[in-house]
Amino acid sequence: MDKNDLNIFIHLLQKVFTQKQPPFDLGLIVKESESQIEVKEVFEEIKKIVDIERIIYDETIFDEDTIDKIIDAFQKNKWIFLEIEKDIGSPLLNQLKHLANSNSLQLIDYQGKDIFEMKMPENSRVIVFAERDFIENKISYPHFYRLFGPTLSLK
Amino acid sequence: MPNPETIRFKSPDELKEEEIETKIKERGPEGEILGGIVFEEEKTIDPDTKEEKIKRYIYIGNPYEERPIITRLETDAIREDIEAIKKEIIPMKESFEILDAMARTYNHRQPLLIEGPTAIGKTYLAEKFTELLYGKGVKPLDFYCSGQTDVSELMAKWVPKVETEEEKKKWNDFLNSAEAQEKISQIAEEVEQKNNLSQEQKLALIHTKLQELAKSVGLSEKTQWRFQYGAVPKAMGLIKNPDGSFSFDERKGMGFILHIEEVGLAEPQVIDVLLKLRGKRGQLAEEIQLWENGGRKVKAGPKFWVFFSTNPPEEYLARNEVDPALARGVVFKRMKELSEESLHLAADYYFTYKLVKKPKEKPEGCILDIYNHPEIGREIAKVVSAFHNDLNKELKKGEEGRKQRIPLTLDDMAHVADALIDNQIRNKETGRLDLTETLKKHICFYYLDRLADEKIKETMEANLNELLEGITGEIEFEGKTRTRKEIFDILVERASITEEEKKKLEEEKKKEEERKLTQIKFDTLDKIENLLNLSDISEENKEHLSLLKDRIEKL
Repeated sequence: MDKNDLNIFIHLLQKVFTQKQPPFDLGLIVKESESQIEVKEVFEEIKKIVDIERIIYDETIFDEDTIDKIIDAFQKNKWIFLEIEKDIGSPLLNQLKHLANSNSLQLIDYQGKDIFEMKMPENSRVIVFAERDFIENKISYPHFYRLFGPTLSLK
Repeated sequence: MPNPETIRFKSPDELKEEEIETKIKERGPEGEILGGIVFEEEKTIDPDTKEEKIKRYIYIGNPYEERPIITRLETDAIREDIEAIKKEIIPMKESFEILDAMARTYNHRQPLLIEGPTAIGKTYLAEKFTELLYGKGVKPLDFYCSGQTDVSELMAKWVPKVETEEEKKKWNDFLNSAEAQEKISQIAEEVEQKNNLSQEQKLALIHTKLQELAKSVGLSEKTQWRFQYGAVPKAMGLIKNPDGSFSFDERKGMGFILHIEEVGLAEPQVIDVLLKLRGKRGQLAEEIQLWENGGRKVKAGPKFWVFFSTNPPEEYLARNEVDPALARGVVFKRMKELSEESLHLAADYYFTYKLVKKPKEKPEGCILDIYNHPEIGREIAKVVSAFHNDLNKELKKGEEGRKQRIPLTLDDMAHVADALIDNQIRNKETGRLDLTETLKKHICFYYLDRLADEKIKETMEANLNELLEGITGEIEFEGKTRTRKEIFDILVERASITEEEKKKLEEEKKKEEERKLTQIKFDTLDKIENLLNLSDISEENKEHLSLLKDRIEKL
């Protein structure tokens, strides 16, 4: 893995844009089919640069729990490394779109509030990790790539 | 003198209308749109309490139209909010078409559906429209459709209250099964048909039956069930509190704006639910019945409004068309791509940095404060908008090696504009900003590096080079045909001169002029001397010439 590319990727995610709304981008790391790099290796490298929490979104976890974990990480001003291993369910997709479009979460009937809104903290960011083949063949949402700003391709 | 019989006195209403229309169509000195949205306050006296009240209104109309239809809407926003929101909207023709459609349909409680490409600004303008009505920072209730959207997310569902992780997992497994979904629906429908029961009795019965169901599949029968409203009933009965928070009242709520996005992706069962929102005479339904809650009805508040949006079918893999029944039940507006004129206007806004406060001090990495030089920004805008347009056309055809399409958005321009402020490359020869190289790098990074199709990438890179440095990219600039690179270099050179250098240059210019004048003086004196040395010159002329020589010498 090119550490320089990773550093640039992180630097770009840290950037606060003034010309566009919302000011932060979500980041995408795509593991290409030929890549031998392990996801854990990528996560550990990022962990050396920023305070980040790993969330694995697979068959064992529900969307609601994933959202809880995201909120929890935000409350700790942490970055999130969201590893996608199953097609994204509607509740999580809704929140990812909220984060991409307005850098905030919006939930109905959550934590005792009719409408729960939470801004992504200035020091937090979301990085989504997925394999190229998985994105192309398993993610049913047709505009997946559009949710993200900087994209790092691991070859 | 006009015939007194043809003179017509305008009523105060007519004069007011004309005043608003003039403001809506207001343009700046360079022809830029300043109107479109107008804020007005009106003082009223409460007939009962005799207290003075201020009502605030916004007027929205399309300033590009000769005779715009102007809609007046009451707003909670204050003047400063409206001015700030206006500054965040690039006054493109398409933006005002959308805002105008929103205002008109909102005013008549008609649901609106806009089908348009990604970059047209549907989501952004839905947010801005909500802010115009409720104040800065207030967001609409957003609901995004996808192939996996569940009806219960839109309408309502019963959820068990569980404590432990293990219990939670068991319940989730059960609730996600088709068997559970069917059984819960059956229970709700059965109870709904029991007309002799009161609302409370129905709810109690549902609760008991759900507990029995839980027991039958080996789950704790003591689990309490909680009823959770979905996005539609919530938006119908929301109340925005003065502190900015929201509360919900299913019968007395004022209602709020619900934006249902990507409705083209919704499955038929979701569409069936959305069709419930159709009311009389093309308006939104006044109430909807939730079978999940024992047939309880939720009333739509007066400020409830639904805005649907979707991308054109060709942007989806499966060419998802909007359901015809839904399209018939809403005000359906199809939008095309942003015109080249609008793209250029957007680029002009981004690269002349009109949308943001400019940095007071030069940020790190900034060689030239291009944000203070709109003459440079305007030239960059021409290049980026042309490139953006060309690449977008290419991408519409699809990329080799990628199923998903990634059409461009205005954010791509914004990225480049932002990066240009503080990621600049220096020209090693001149020591000044190398704008061509910097721009090239940022365009490649933000536009081209994401492409999977190497062929498109190579072609567009070559096109960019040609546009910046080639003959085909040449344009007329200050009376000469020049490449964009040459124009950039000239503008950067002019802008790079510091105040000190400017003073020095002016002094040098002054000295040069003085030197020229001295030269002229001596040349003239030489010529007079030559004339005086001539033998055939008269004494009278000699006297005149000597006088002239004395005067020139004194200069």
